[in-house]
Amino acid sequence: MLDISKLLEEIKASPYEELVITAPHTGVVSFGSIKVGDRVIGATGTWGEIPGTPLATLQRERNDKIIRATQKGVVEKIHTELEGTFVEAGTELVRLRHFLSKDEVLGIILKKALYLFEAPERAKYYFAPDIDSKIKSSGSQSVTVHDGMELFIMSRMKREAPLNYSGPDGVIYAVYFQHNENIDSGAPLIGVCPPDQLSLIEDVVVRVQTEWTEQE
Amino acid sequence: MQNTNHKVLVANRGEIAIRIMQACQKLGLGFVCVYTAEDSASGHVRMAKEHGGEKSLYRVSSYQDANELLAVADESGATAIHPGYGFFAEDYRFARRVTQRENKLIFIGPSWRIIRELGDKINTKRLARSLEVPTVPGSDRPVYDELEAEKIARQLFEFQEEQGIRRPMVLVKASAGGGGMGIEEVYDIDLFKSVYRRIRSYSLRQFSDEGVLIEQRIKDFNHLEVQIVSDRTGKNPVHFGTRNCSIQSTGLQKRLEIAPGFDPSSINYTFDAQKVLDDITEYSLAMARKVGYDNVGTWEWIVTRDGRPFLMEVNTRIQVENGVSAMISRVNGKAGVDLIAEQIRVGLGEPLGYSQENITFDGVGIEYRLIAENPEMKFTPWVGRIEDFGWDKHDWLQMHSHVPTDVAYDIPTEFDPNLALAIIWGKDLSEVKVHGKEFLNELRLTGQNQGGESLKSNVNFLRTKTDEILKF
Amino acid sequence: MDTEKRTQHLTERLTYIKDIFGDKQQENIRLLETKLEEFIQRENGLSVEDKFAALSTLEDLFGFVERNLENELTAMDKVRIVRHSQRICLRDILENVYDNYTEIGGKDENSIDPSMLIARAYITRRSGKRVYHQPVMVIGQEKGHGEEFRNGGSVKPWGNAKALHYMRVAETENIPVHTFVFTPGSFPVEDAPGAAQQIAKNLYEMAALSVPVVAVFSEGGSGGAEAIGLADSRLMLSHGYYSVISPEGAAAIEGRVRGGDRAGAELVEKCAHQLKITADDNVRMGYIDHKIQEPALGARPYHYEFFRSLRQEVIRATDEVVLNVKGFSPFRAMALRRRKGKSIEDLDLENIHVRWSLSRKARARLIAKRHAKFNKLSKSAFIDRRPIHRRVAAWFVEKGWDTYSYFKYDLWRSHQKKLMYAVEEVDAEARVLMDKVKGPWKKITKAIPANTSKADKEKELTMLSQWDEEDQGKGQWSYISPRAKEDRAITCPNAETHGCQDLWAPDLFGEYAGVCNSCGHHFPMEYQWYMHNIFDPGSIFEFNTEVESANPLGFEGFDLKLEQAKNKTGLKSSCTTFEARINNVKVVVATLIAPFRGGTVGAAEGEKFVQAAERAKKKRFPFISYVHGTAGIRIQEGVNGVIQMPRCTMAVRRYIDAGGLYLVLYDTNSYAGPLASFLGCSPYQFAIRSSNIGFAGPGVIKETTGMDIPPDYHRAQKALSRGHIQGIWDRRDARHNLSQALMTMGGRNLYYR
Repeated sequence: MLDISKLLEEIKASPYEELVITAPHTGVVSFGSIKVGDRVIGATGTWGEIPGTPLATLQRERNDKIIRATQKGVVEKIHTELEGTFVEAGTELVRLRHFLSKDEVLGIILKKALYLFEAPERAKYYFAPDIDSKIKSSGSQSVTVHDGMELFIMSRMKREAPLNYSGPDGVIYAVYFQHNENIDSGAPLIGVCPPDQLSLIEDVVVRVQTEWTEQE
Repeated sequence: MQNTNHKVLVANRGEIAIRIMQACQKLGLGFVCVYTAEDSASGHVRMAKEHGGEKSLYRVSSYQDANELLAVADESGATAIHPGYGFFAEDYRFARRVTQRENKLIFIGPSWRIIRELGDKINTKRLARSLEVPTVPGSDRPVYDELEAEKIARQLFEFQEEQGIRRPMVLVKASAGGGGMGIEEVYDIDLFKSVYRRIRSYSLRQFSDEGVLIEQRIKDFNHLEVQIVSDRTGKNPVHFGTRNCSIQSTGLQKRLEIAPGFDPSSINYTFDAQKVLDDITEYSLAMARKVGYDNVGTWEWIVTRDGRPFLMEVNTRIQVENGVSAMISRVNGKAGVDLIAEQIRVGLGEPLGYSQENITFDGVGIEYRLIAENPEMKFTPWVGRIEDFGWDKHDWLQMHSHVPTDVAYDIPTEFDPNLALAIIWGKDLSEVKVHGKEFLNELRLTGQNQGGESLKSNVNFLRTKTDEILKF
Repeated sequence: MDTEKRTQHLTERLTYIKDIFGDKQQENIRLLETKLEEFIQRENGLSVEDKFAALSTLEDLFGFVERNLENELTAMDKVRIVRHSQRICLRDILENVYDNYTEIGGKDENSIDPSMLIARAYITRRSGKRVYHQPVMVIGQEKGHGEEFRNGGSVKPWGNAKALHYMRVAETENIPVHTFVFTPGSFPVEDAPGAAQQIAKNLYEMAALSVPVVAVFSEGGSGGAEAIGLADSRLMLSHGYYSVISPEGAAAIEGRVRGGDRAGAELVEKCAHQLKITADDNVRMGYIDHKIQEPALGARPYHYEFFRSLRQEVIRATDEVVLNVKGFSPFRAMALRRRKGKSIEDLDLENIHVRWSLSRKARARLIAKRHAKFNKLSKSAFIDRRPIHRRVAAWFVEKGWDTYSYFKYDLWRSHQKKLMYAVEEVDAEARVLMDKVKGPWKKITKAIPANTSKADKEKELTMLSQWDEEDQGKGQWSYISPRAKEDRAITCPNAETHGCQDLWAPDLFGEYAGVCNSCGHHFPMEYQWYMHNIFDPGSIFEFNTEVESANPLGFEGFDLKLEQAKNKTGLKSSCTTFEARINNVKVVVATLIAPFRGGTVGAAEGEKFVQAAERAKKKRFPFISYVHGTAGIRIQEGVNGVIQMPRCTMAVRRYIDAGGLYLVLYDTNSYAGPLASFLGCSPYQFAIRSSNIGFAGPGVIKETTGMDIPPDYHRAQKALSRGHIQGIWDRRDARHNLSQALMTMGGRNLYYR
């Protein structure tokens, strides 16, 4: 049985996470007006339609791309020495101190509560086409999985192979991978909630919602 | 090279990136390399670090993002881009962008219009037809409609039955694909629909295009290639002989290439093999002349057991197996031909400087593609760490690899699983077979993965297949 | 009335004055306040008689001040009057104007939409000794006196649908419809049937509703008003307003106010004045037939006199409409005529009887008259630079076409059709007979294997079509966007969710036709792209180019803006009309072009649209509306713009009733009035992928309803799921799809049924 209280206490002991914002691609960087100590926020609004705080601008092929905060936090470091220079992909630009949000805490605890189906190999993963369209239209929790079901396409070295789910029956409660992103072998792909555990999971959600206070 | 005032952006990775850098060095040109985070241990990165000058190595987010490559080209002061093979090599839009943007660069490859015309398999077929060059039966353009696709497949089955083919088969392939990816065979019209859909969604994911080609699958055939080289005038193409690429994996991937395409001097064929070789080189040159082909390219042919050639497609790029043709070629009687250097040279605008009479051939060459894979398990790639990799040097052997031989190397999963190309020469077929086996026996290639499983490679497969080369 | 009630009443009148004038008229307000207070102080010490006397004096004073203030009312004051909770509402009218009524559209909260009220009512009249109960269908927005569930008279789509339903009931029952417009505007939600689409349906149906319709405007807020306002006789209360947009809304646009902020009171006042929204303005411009005088400072529920005159007015309006289309009734018509110096009370309307039900022929005349009435409107609100001789010539040509098409299509075709049907029938019969006879023979011939040449088949499969020049032109469009000349990369808006790479502008706006090659997102393209890539090359023939947008209200600063738009686009209005061909099918096209003032529709655009529809009708061509983008009705033209909603819808109705095929294709962003009328009424509406279609933008929805809407609320695929449009097209396939639509919806004979 999962000790939610204990888990929550553990997280409360170190509620911060350091976020490193790197250049998503090459380009000439400029930082605009942010300063160390500034509070920044990620995308907000019911549908995440209000963009997060701009941190830097990356210009490549005459196209300005604004790099925004994806999470709430405080600016810890800005690499101002890079201002106006051409940076390589993956160069560290800004460092944020981020206080864990309810959703993230929930994510951490759920990862312990759910049955995790792991990537068998380092590869890119996609949902099988029919599953994918179902998830896109009505969300992952609309999909019930069962042992032996053809659920994924594993794409590796340009080769694709179907991947069957194995584990308990249940609904897909969480999806941990994104398309076009390599997943290491052993990393979780999905979190499955068996029907008999649904009440436990709901309890976790309620507990986190009530007991975790987000800090500004 | 007369004008060495160029810097070439190497828009590729691995073995070909190294080959391009070596060619640049040979020609006295500057170069700049790119790599992605997953590839930082690759030999090409090491070579760029060791031999490149200032501004010669950049980390990018992807090899497949044109914006990254061009941003790096501008930043590093590159004047030309070499696409290698794969990635942007046959992307006419990339070639067009490179040559039409404000800061114009040279695309080392055919001009974009030629890539567009010949990159379209159907267009190629039509061009071939206009010159009375035979082509494979099949759909006459990319098919987007399921009903139409099924109709063509049905026709092809009927056609083969009428021809008396015992087990008719239809090939379904992604129109935008190439190099054996996104191809499946169908033996039964009832299964066609599901295969068609699978290929279509594969094509959509990989190439953002739903177009599918449906062709007759000619079963019993040999896969031959003609290597063409031409300078920017497009007027005097020459060929560097033929290659036979019939030994492939189950996924229709080439594993072993031999130059020349057939060897009538030591093997008896049921048809006039020399005539076939002469025909396909002549057809290929005719087409190259017709379109004004202006760089290196490969004409791919299918030759049936009764000795009928069909044109499959034209690859408007340097190919992996270019080295095996170079190995048996002599220009003005001299060995040491480097087709990549020739490509760069003509790409940058130098005239070819010789004609077909100056090109002669000597002996037989084999290229082995060394790959970590399991031939017993449908050639599934093996992923893990290479711990020991090495070979003995011979004057009949050329090795091309990005895998370091002095430190362990983790195979990245993003790319083609080629580890190395070994090119073997022999004065005739029997000698090259002996050399080939000698090389494979001496090769050291071991490793392990996280699961403790030891490295799987295709060395045994290559060894067995060496006995069969050039036999139909 | 006891003193207490009278005092109370006076207090209410004072509050009302304060509410209407706000900070203005402080002196008068203070005077009334002091006098009323004085009286209340003294009240207890006074005898009953003195109290009455004092109250009467006070009441006289109130009346006097109110009459004085009446003369100083501004347009904005009238807006406040109309919005006041003491303003008469439809229930008051039902109680006081009609002799009896039954509510049929629900009761209070228990209604599908409490802001739309429907009642069957009757008016009792005498003729000689006989008593007649004349039934009518009363339809109108109910604001109530501040009850929240009435939603301020802002009707939801299903409320308008209910109104339409009962108009058709009235049509079945052959009784007149009285509509009362008490709405600040429609509730802008897209939930099915959709605000815009439903209003469009209402307009389309009302355009040919075959019973008399009399509309009374109190608060005529734009689209919401039009949903029930298309009438044979349009009356307006003297203190009402009829406008394209609320003055606050106009001020927000004029003052470029964004997100949550509000425009200053002064600007609002100025906009209210400039928009020419009062009854007098609208009567002068011809959009209202007659003004009904209200008591000073506007009618409130206790103004019983007013209800009497309102009753007379609606009776007379109905009588007039009916008599105008009835065969023979000179005396009664004369009796009803308005004369100088004669007020409506002088007419003995109660004792004249006019039967309100109409014969079949009269119904047809009624509709024809209604169309003629609206067609004449707003003719002077645009510039027509065609020289007079050309206009005359155009008139003759039109008449010529009329005659031609009568002979070609109506007379000849109807006979031809009958003949054709007869031939078809005989042919079908003969076929069945022949099949029976030939049956056995066929079986025999089938048994012999067909001798199709093997070589032919091989040739078909191996020798493909020729490699020719034509194939080298692929990926080429006839028009290339100027943006394709910029050497720069563009980020797809879906990059984050779909992983699209940056696109090179020359690829994107050239070969890709503005479509992201990874996710299929459609970037907006210039209207020229469609003109040149959809229609057959060189087939476009533009007409009515001389019709120009103007500034009919003399809206401040608008002349300059209009000039700028004309210079920037080289166009004279946002509407371009032309004839063209698609795969050799001739069509008439009306476009709304976004770069010209946001593709807004004013009098010029409306006129061009109407004329295009007429042309399509006369020439028997399919009619296509290509909406490159429209932000709605042009607010600076006020009602001159709004009136295009019914006008253009009626033109569409005439066209479709004549047998035409009307297709609408939306692109980029299409919103508001045009959508809620002549576009939304098409049975065949399609959208280019990634376009937005809706009634009101997210900002307006947030402001009027307080709801946050998801970012994809107006996306084409949502509109498709709601049933508002019939399909979504890829831009690159637009030509093909349009051609296919013409073939499948028009058939071989293309358009005329």
